[in-house]
Amino acid sequence: MERRRFIAFALTPSLIVLFAVAVLPAIYLIVTSLTPFQLTTPGSATDFSDPFRNYALLPGDPRFVNSLAVQAKLSVASVLFQVLLGMLLALLLNVPSRFVEFARTFFLIPMVLPPIVVAVIWKLIYAPDISPLYYAAQALHFTLPALTSSVDFALTAIIIADTWEWLPFTFLMVLAALQTIPDEYSEAALVDGASKLQIFWYVTLPFITPILVISGMFRLIDSVKAFPLIFLLTGGGPGTVTEVTNYYAYLLAFDTNEIGYSSAVTVVMLLLVCGISLGLVWMGRRKEALA
Amino acid sequence: MKTASRASSLTRRKLLKASAATAALAAFPAPLIAQTKPFAGVTLHGASFQHRFFTLLQKYIPEFEEKTGMKVDLQLSALPVYNQQANLELSSGGSAYDFVNVTFTLATRWIAAGLLANLDEFTGDANLTPADWNPKDFVDGAQVPYRDAKGATYGYSWEGGAMLMGLSRMDLMEKKGLKIPKTFAELQQVCAEINGTDGVSGLVSWFLHNWNLPPYIQGFGGNIFRNPPGDPMPALNTPEAIQGVEFYANLLKSAPKGGLTYTEDQARQAMLTGRANIFIHSSAWVTPILLSDESKVKETSRVVRSPAGPVHDYPASNSQGLGIPKNAKNQKAAWEFIKWALSPEISMKLVKEHGHSSVCRRSIITSDDYRKLNTVNGQDLGALYLEVLELPGKGENYMAYRTSKEFPIVGDVLNKAFEQVATGQLPAKDAMNAAQDQAIAALRRAGTKL
Repeated sequence: MERRRFIAFALTPSLIVLFAVAVLPAIYLIVTSLTPFQLTTPGSATDFSDPFRNYALLPGDPRFVNSLAVQAKLSVASVLFQVLLGMLLALLLNVPSRFVEFARTFFLIPMVLPPIVVAVIWKLIYAPDISPLYYAAQALHFTLPALTSSVDFALTAIIIADTWEWLPFTFLMVLAALQTIPDEYSEAALVDGASKLQIFWYVTLPFITPILVISGMFRLIDSVKAFPLIFLLTGGGPGTVTEVTNYYAYLLAFDTNEIGYSSAVTVVMLLLVCGISLGLVWMGRRKEALA
Repeated sequence: MKTASRASSLTRRKLLKASAATAALAAFPAPLIAQTKPFAGVTLHGASFQHRFFTLLQKYIPEFEEKTGMKVDLQLSALPVYNQQANLELSSGGSAYDFVNVTFTLATRWIAAGLLANLDEFTGDANLTPADWNPKDFVDGAQVPYRDAKGATYGYSWEGGAMLMGLSRMDLMEKKGLKIPKTFAELQQVCAEINGTDGVSGLVSWFLHNWNLPPYIQGFGGNIFRNPPGDPMPALNTPEAIQGVEFYANLLKSAPKGGLTYTEDQARQAMLTGRANIFIHSSAWVTPILLSDESKVKETSRVVRSPAGPVHDYPASNSQGLGIPKNAKNQKAAWEFIKWALSPEISMKLVKEHGHSSVCRRSIITSDDYRKLNTVNGQDLGALYLEVLELPGKGENYMAYRTSKEFPIVGDVLNKAFEQVATGQLPAKDAMNAAQDQAIAALRRAGTKL
């Protein structure tokens, strides 16, 4: 009992801070989403006469529906790339060597850069008139389209930049998992005549699968935060090709002042992220139980 | 001994100080001191977005503080950040700011919602505003956004932007026998013929299409709303609007690769280095081809009026104003600051000492000093600037669409639709029909009665 009281006492300050910085704003967001709040309409912040109006309007809003589809494309593609490439890189660099150690550190740089710096770097890479990418293409007599203003490439351009930024995360996670695999397993398989591919498939992969799922889950949740890249590289365009849900919510709140409607969009996004997270946690637990 | 001498010296110093203070007090009795520093002890809080005007003004603020006795706390942030802060502050009825920038695009909303103080109460009071301050000296076209329906004034403009056309490679045009385009058709022809010559693009523009596009829509006889500001029904799918969108999208085919998403800086740089021939934008962005030390095309450049459409000649213009929030605590002190910051003396100082030309006082723009500084290669840039800036004040206010409180919503829809057309995602007619529906839905969602 004493111990419990002590734990409760020790946790209280952190819980109060957590409540103030995370729960209260979320509650306010939900409350705001039930109003037609507009900054220049006095009284709109406390008008609860039609609380579900914003939510009822969402399915009929083509930009909102499109933004969900864009978000899904961006999330699925970037998470797949990041997990697969991160794994490949980790497998290649999982060897004891000084050069490889240096290379590992080098690969971590994008992840530790501030997101806006990453966006500026890619803005320069994608700018046809000053980009080394375009100079190189020109030298090779190859014509590159304007990546960020092309309907066909704009989203891919964002996916590439996002993958570059977050690949080190999955790489680091997988590398850590690889280094926990006892050598005996692969050595035994080798003695039994297994090929390298078979060792990877039957020995390595089962070991790292939980890490792949966890890092994929983290990246999936995080992928809805690709805001700086979209803000700086494409502005959601051309048209609405790269307009993800959080960017649409930003435009609604800060460009057109529809705070209430924007809050509803954000609440839906929050629910989706929570749903995905819970789903993945449930899948993980089920797998553990089966094992 | 040493201590005694030090003590005696201190006493002497104190005595001298006390005598001086007594003499000063005798010369200037207390009431007179208070009169010379009428706002002593007041700290004036103001906010705006970052702009060269305020950077320059800050150099003179200590003089103003010395004269009035007040302390000026001027907060400058990036434009989007400032607009959000000001929107929140004003709409919540706060009194954190004594004066604010009245952002051009937000002016009508703030005025209609009663968030700003009526400045006629200050200009109409001879005790608060001397006759030589002359409110009528501000270019009328720049003042239009800061008036309500009854004509009361809620802001005075400190900066103006007038759409002009810059041509950086007249040498190439002359070689091809091309003249400065005066109509949309000629503009299209010049852009197409120059594009690709010596690696030069026909035209350059930047990504805020809802600023660049409307003059073309209006040039063909259309508008963004049916009849702004009274009738805010969007008019995005009229034949004229569709024609304007098609024309501008076609024009951008002469822009550099990726030009659809160019920033203003990128576009300006393309002009200064002669990589693009034509740039149509506010004077401050276009005139550097003649005025900037960075310009590599000073000898081959011209700055002229932008081409006219078949129906109208409506070059865009804008201005930024200074105003006082309705709930400001120090309104008289704020007015003192605005009066000083926008006085003819300070305006002239900015022009003469810093070459800052985008002021809105007619007497300054038409002065000999201004003309001398802004006449390059025989081109009177000031006259052009004034000509365009005053157009919306003459007769129909064709810039009313821009300050309509519905514009942010409709402008955003217009931007997206235009990009769909320019990138070939949709034909202009389909894109603008969809945009019209979306704009109406978004306005209704926001509570606008149509």
